Amino acid sequence: MHILRCVALSAVLALLPGAAYPQGKTAPKDAKLYFITPYDGQKVRGAFLVRFGLRNMGVTHAGDDYQNAGHHHLLIDVNDPIDPKEPIPQDKSHQHFGAGQTETLLELPPGTHTLQLVLGDAKHYPFEPPIVSDKITVRVRQPPQRGK
Amino acid sequence: MGEIRNFRSGNHDEPPPHGGVGPRRLAAIIVGDIAAYSRLMQADEEGTHVRVKRIERDLIQPSIVEHHGSLVKTTGDGFIAIFDSPVEAVRCSIVIQQNLVGRNASLPKDSRIEYRIGVNLGDVIIEPDDVYGDGVNIASRIEGIAEPGQVYISGAIYEQIKHKVVCGYESLGDRKVKNITDPVRVYRVLPDADAVGKTRGRRENVLIFLLSITVLMIATGVLWYLLTQPGRVGEQAATPTVSPVVSPSPQPPPREAAAPAPQPAPSLASSPSPAPAASSQSPTPVREPEMIAIRGGSFAMGSNDDPTERPVHQVAIKPFAIGKYPVTVQEWNECAAAKACGFTAIGNDDAPVSNVSWTDAQQYAAWLAKATKKPYRLPSEAEWEYAARGGTSTRYWWGDKLQQGMAGCKDCGATAAAEQPTKVGSFKPNPFGLYDMGGGIDQWVEDCWHKTYQGAPNDGSAWSGGDCSSHVLRSGSWKNDARYVRPSNRDGYDTNVRYPTHGFRVALGP
Repeated sequence: MHILRCVALSAVLALLPGAAYPQGKTAPKDAKLYFITPYDGQKVRGAFLVRFGLRNMGVTHAGDDYQNAGHHHLLIDVNDPIDPKEPIPQDKSHQHFGAGQTETLLELPPGTHTLQLVLGDAKHYPFEPPIVSDKITVRVRQPPQRGK
Repeated sequence: MGEIRNFRSGNHDEPPPHGGVGPRRLAAIIVGDIAAYSRLMQADEEGTHVRVKRIERDLIQPSIVEHHGSLVKTTGDGFIAIFDSPVEAVRCSIVIQQNLVGRNASLPKDSRIEYRIGVNLGDVIIEPDDVYGDGVNIASRIEGIAEPGQVYISGAIYEQIKHKVVCGYESLGDRKVKNITDPVRVYRVLPDADAVGKTRGRRENVLIFLLSITVLMIATGVLWYLLTQPGRVGEQAATPTVSPVVSPSPQPPPREAAAPAPQPAPSLASSPSPAPAASSQSPTPVREPEMIAIRGGSFAMGSNDDPTERPVHQVAIKPFAIGKYPVTVQEWNECAAAKACGFTAIGNDDAPVSNVSWTDAQQYAAWLAKATKKPYRLPSEAEWEYAARGGTSTRYWWGDKLQQGMAGCKDCGATAAAEQPTKVGSFKPNPFGLYDMGGGIDQWVEDCWHKTYQGAPNDGSAWSGGDCSSHVLRSGSWKNDARYVRPSNRDGYDTNVRYPTHGFRVALGP
C-alpha cells in the first residue's frame, strides 16, 4: 500500500511539471547528435578541437525558431540529468554555441573528462525527447615537461 | 625584410607540423615579423624576449591552431605558418593583428610589439621543420613591405578570398620585390572597412528618412492651414488623421531630426498644433537608473581561483558612476516603448531585465545616453570588478567565506529556480553601496571576451579587439552556484544571443 502510494505520488510529481510547461519542441525521431572528434576514450594533449555532428536536423542561431533546428551545447563533466523543463544552464560546464558554431577548441586540465552534446531550441530548452549525444570520455595528458 | 633569414632558434616547442615529408603541395603561407625588433631588443633585451615568447605562446600558436593551420617555425622575431585554406590564413592573420592592437593599447609607443604580416599562396616543399619555395620567399617579401600592424596579401590570395572574407581590400598595385623576377600584385587588408561603411550608410539613411518626413509634415501642415483657415476651431476634431508629431511651426534643425524618434520634444508638444495622445511618446523625462559615483583608484584585478581570472594584475580606475542596481524591467520598458530597444520585457517592474543579449544592452545604453544627453554606457570589465570588490580583496566582498543571504545564487541560501530572479536590491549592498554585484542576474560589460587576462589593458578601459563574437559576463546569476558570485568571476557568451539569466547595469562617465 505504502509503495503504491509512493509510486502514485512520484508519477503525479513527474507528470505535473510536464503539463505545466509544455516547453519541449518536438524533434524528428531519427535526429542524431554525435561527436565527430574526439572519439570516446581519446587521449589528447593541450587544446583540442571538438567537432559537433548532427544528422536529420539543422543548426541555427539561438533565438531562431525554425522547425527541426537548434543550437549546440557542450556539457563538460556534467553528471546531473538534463531537465527538459528548464533552459539548458549556462555556466563553465555548460558551454553554449548560440551563434550556430559547430566546433570549438577546448582546453581542459589534465585528467579524465566527460563530454556530451545537447541540442537546444530557440529558447535554450532541450527538445522533446531530448536530442543528446553519447557521453564520451577524453583523457587529457600532462603537458610535456619542458621549459617554456 | 631582406632575405629569408637563416633562422636562428628553430623552436622545437611546437607540435610537429606535418607527419611525412610531402614532396610538394599548394599552401597558403603566412610570414610574420616584428617591426623594429632590433630597437626593441636594444632597449630591453630580456623583457622583449619574454614578451615575444608570450605573444607566440598565447596568441600566435593558438590562433594558427584555431584556424587549422600549422606553425612551421618561429624565428627570433617572426614566424612562418602554412594553411590549407587561404581564407583561414587571412582570418588568422587578422585575428593576430587585432589581438595585438589590444595588447599594445596600454603600452607607450616605442615599446609596442607590432608585427608585419604577409600572406601568399604558393606551391611549396614542406619538410618537418621548414618550408621552402618561391611562394615562401614572396610571402616574406610581401611581409617586408607591409606596414607594422598590417596584413598584406598577394594577388593569388586575393583572388581566392575576395568574396569570402568580409573585409576591405586596398590594392597597392604591382610591386617589384627583391630577387623575384615578376612583379607581385599586393593588397592591404582592411579588417573593419566594411563595418564602418555600413554604419555610416545606415546613419545617413536614417537622416534622409527623417528629413523627408519633416518636409512632408511641413507640406501637410501648410496645406491643412490653408484649407482650414476659416472656421479652424470647428475642424479640429478631424485633424488627428493628419500626422500628429510635427506642427507646422518652424521645423526642428536637422540635428534634432537625426535623434531617435522616441525623444520627446516638449517644444513641439506645446506648440499650437493639435498633437493628440496618439503619439507613443510621453512628455515626461525618461526614468534614469539610480547611479552611485565611484572614486578612482587602483586594485588587483583577477584571482587564482580559475584559469580565466589569471594573471592577477594591477589596474588603475578613473572616477566614474555605476548603476546602484541592475537595469530593471520598468527601466528597460521605457526604452522598448520608445522603440529603441528590441522587445518589451515581461515580469515585475522592479525585477532586473533578463534575456538580453550584449547588443540589446548596448541599445539601451545608447538610447539612455541620447535621451538624457549624458554619457551612459556599459561599464568596462575592470570597472565592474573594481566596483564589485568595493575596496575589498577577499574572495567575496564580505570576506573569504560564503555567508547565507548575502547574494542571490543557487546555494547562497535564498529561494531559487524561479523564472525570474527576485527584485533588485533584495540582498545587502557592498561597501560602495551597490546591490547585486554578484548573484541575481548575469551582467554584460563592454569588453570582448578573452580567455585570460594575458595582455589585458591596465588603465581600466574596456578590452576590445580579439574575438568580439563573444563578450564578457559578470556577476553570475540566481541559477549559478556560489563560485560564480565572486567579484573576480568571469565568463564569455555570444554577443547576439539572448539567455534568460543575462542582464546588465549601466555606467556613466567619459
